[in-house]
Amino acid sequence: MMNIAHYVPLSPLLAFVINIIFGRKLKSASAAVAIAASIGSLILSVKVYQGLSFGYGSYHLGQWLTINGKALNFGIIVDPLTVMMLLIVSFIGTLILIYSTGYMHGDIRYSRYFAYISLFMSSMLGLVLSDNFVMLLICWEGVGLCSYLLISFWHERPAAVAAGIKAFVTTRIGDTGLLIGMLILFFTCGTFYFCDLATVKGPEPLMTLAAILIFTGAMGKSAQFPLHVWLPDAMEGPTAVSALIHAATMVAAGVYLVARCFPLFVAHPIALETVAVIGAISALMAASIAVVTNDIKRVMAYSTISQLGLMMLALGVGGLSAGTFHLMTHAFFKALLFLCAGSVIHAVGTQDIQKMGGLFSTLKITSSTFIVGTLALAGIFPFAGFWSKDEILITAWNNHHPIFFGVVLLTSFLTAFYMGRLIFLVLFGKSRSDLHPHESPASMTVPLIVLSLFACFVGFIGSPLKEAGRMEAGVETYWIMLASSVVSISAIFLAYFVYLRGFLPVSIRSRFKGLHDLLSHKYYIDEFYDFIFVKPCALLCRMAYSFDFHVIDGLVNLVADLAQSVSGVLRKFQTGFAQNYLLVQALGLVVIIIWLLKI
Amino acid sequence: MQDLVFYFIAGCACVFAVLAVTQRSIFHCALWLAMTLLSVAGVYFYLEAPFLGAIQILVYVGGIITLFVFAIKLTAHIEDKSIRQLNTQWLPAALISLLLFYILIQAFASHPWKNIIPNAPVTSLQVIGRSLMTGYALPFEFMSVILLGALVGAIVIGKVKK
Amino acid sequence: MTPLGYFTLMSAFLFCTGIYGVLTRRNLIGILISIELILNAANINLVAFNKYLGSSDGMGQVLALFVVAIAAAASVVGLVLIIAIYRNAKSVFVEDFNLMKE
Repeated sequence: MMNIAHYVPLSPLLAFVINIIFGRKLKSASAAVAIAASIGSLILSVKVYQGLSFGYGSYHLGQWLTINGKALNFGIIVDPLTVMMLLIVSFIGTLILIYSTGYMHGDIRYSRYFAYISLFMSSMLGLVLSDNFVMLLICWEGVGLCSYLLISFWHERPAAVAAGIKAFVTTRIGDTGLLIGMLILFFTCGTFYFCDLATVKGPEPLMTLAAILIFTGAMGKSAQFPLHVWLPDAMEGPTAVSALIHAATMVAAGVYLVARCFPLFVAHPIALETVAVIGAISALMAASIAVVTNDIKRVMAYSTISQLGLMMLALGVGGLSAGTFHLMTHAFFKALLFLCAGSVIHAVGTQDIQKMGGLFSTLKITSSTFIVGTLALAGIFPFAGFWSKDEILITAWNNHHPIFFGVVLLTSFLTAFYMGRLIFLVLFGKSRSDLHPHESPASMTVPLIVLSLFACFVGFIGSPLKEAGRMEAGVETYWIMLASSVVSISAIFLAYFVYLRGFLPVSIRSRFKGLHDLLSHKYYIDEFYDFIFVKPCALLCRMAYSFDFHVIDGLVNLVADLAQSVSGVLRKFQTGFAQNYLLVQALGLVVIIIWLLKI
Repeated sequence: MQDLVFYFIAGCACVFAVLAVTQRSIFHCALWLAMTLLSVAGVYFYLEAPFLGAIQILVYVGGIITLFVFAIKLTAHIEDKSIRQLNTQWLPAALISLLLFYILIQAFASHPWKNIIPNAPVTSLQVIGRSLMTGYALPFEFMSVILLGALVGAIVIGKVKK
Repeated sequence: MTPLGYFTLMSAFLFCTGIYGVLTRRNLIGILISIELILNAANINLVAFNKYLGSSDGMGQVLALFVVAIAAAASVVGLVLIIAIYRNAKSVFVEDFNLMKE
């Protein structure tokens, strides 16, 4: 059963081709095509999952290239990590496609939207199936392209276009790192295959550099500090796209890459340390920004950066199983939260949480599922987030990283706090504006219910990559579970008192005005980048432009002007008056006669 | 005596030709052209080519001049004497024409033609007729095709399009 | 008998007069008139040389005949063109027709 895996990405790819070519004719049927293809790949993924019990490894579909005498094959890797990603992507992708039929209803580029989503899924599925860096990079860029197309899907809005470009350029910085890293790996160790990573030997510190560069690619894709700036802006796309980007496809790719190259990182402790530190910085920074953000989708975006930071941190402290487990649970509850946010936005027509409030009474289904998602993200027992976060904490503690342990605790406190703030401001209390919300159609609520069930129970499955000896360790670590629960619950209570009961009113904001400003300006990172990169680049471009305009164009224009002025003299001879020409002809005749007769 | 006749005819032809190209009224020009052509016909008679002289009178004076008069009358107002008939380059044109004339005279003067007197037998009408039907039959046929073409073309171009 | 040179002289004069007319007349019909003069100048030469130098088949006169026919055809077509142009542009002056320049 294993060797059917390569059909998984082909199914959505086919849907993409059909929708992009016949989209105009299909109209609303294009959604059915995309959903059918997605369900097809889900079924295939389940088949592959069933086949996993017969053993796993990789197989190839034939040779593609020969580089330096080494064959590069169309290789497919099938192992628990891949299968987990296949299931997540195809399952969540299917639900998001169903949700989109309601959310995108009536959009003028309806079929185009479904075509892009199909391509997106296809790229992501291909990415996790690749057994070598080259194929992974191709799918990786495909994912980047689709994210660009979908973030700027409503390209009538300048902000959406800017966000799409920003996402593309920012991730491209990481992609370049990935490319260089994989080429270093190839030229020192001579392999593109993931399965060789555990055994490769190369000169230090070149190998560490390669590992860090590969991580740079992951940093760009997974929106880790300092390449995280594109993700909040990516909220300009349709909300369903945000859900797909955040939960299943785009950002998961970075974590997947680090997990896939995990042996390489383990062999080079400095690279592993880098992963952990970057993860920790991203987790704390994004969580603290989320506390003061007022746009519901941006809160989610920073939450995603923060959670991805936690995954990176988990991987960085050596917890492959913890990181991938969190990746899985996060995929479900973050998709759920985004779809809920989309439903809320669909209902009230605004993204500002200060204008919402008291929506629970009107949006029963959305609100219930929203609360489930929030509890899962906050890590409250027994929801999904609790288990995976617990695993991260345990790994950090067992591997003797007390600082990272503290970071995770602090992050989970902040996470619970801002999620508490979100639901108390949005769902409870009094309505702060005269909106007339209405519940979303069934096509949107059914995926919410399905996802909320998963957000409840997926944690019990446990990590797909269980490590041996995990249970024994668990016995002594019940205090960690307790600690994380206490932290999360206290944070939610704090949020309850601050935002619903109105304790600690405005005075606190004025007292910590500096801090509040710092957070609400996202640590001035955008401004910093603007000053360091964008402004000088723009200056350089302006200089290049003026050089081009005045010197290059000037030269060209000079030549043209010269030709024009000379021809301006010459064209005087072309009077357009026939008898002038005849006169010259007669003169010529005279000259010829003189010359012939030599008079 | 014979020479005097020629001088008279040639002088008339030259004067009429100058008048034909310098008169203001285009209608007068056409008439002076007719006079010139008649004088040329006289030259042909003088050169013992009576057939050609007859053709000259019939075709030119009888046919072409009539056509000119038609055309002049159809393009009505151009007969108006107030309209300038010479363009701005008349002076260089005159100089070039004179220069050309001078060169041609020089060319002729440098050659013994001026002293040649006729020694060949007079070309009779029979000879011309035989030539047209034998040695020059092909150009003759071409000529008829050209005339037919001109006829058809003139009708097509001149037709008023509805 | 008059020497040949006088005929060539006369023909050269008519030719130059025709050239002058072609170069200076504004009126298209005037130009056609001048062209007729040029053709006649050529004809005079043909006939005169035929007479003075002789030829067994009367070549000069035959060619002169052809020239007359050509001249007739040319002036017919030319005049019809002038009339067609006049019908469209209401003008017969050369300097009014410089469409190729504008």
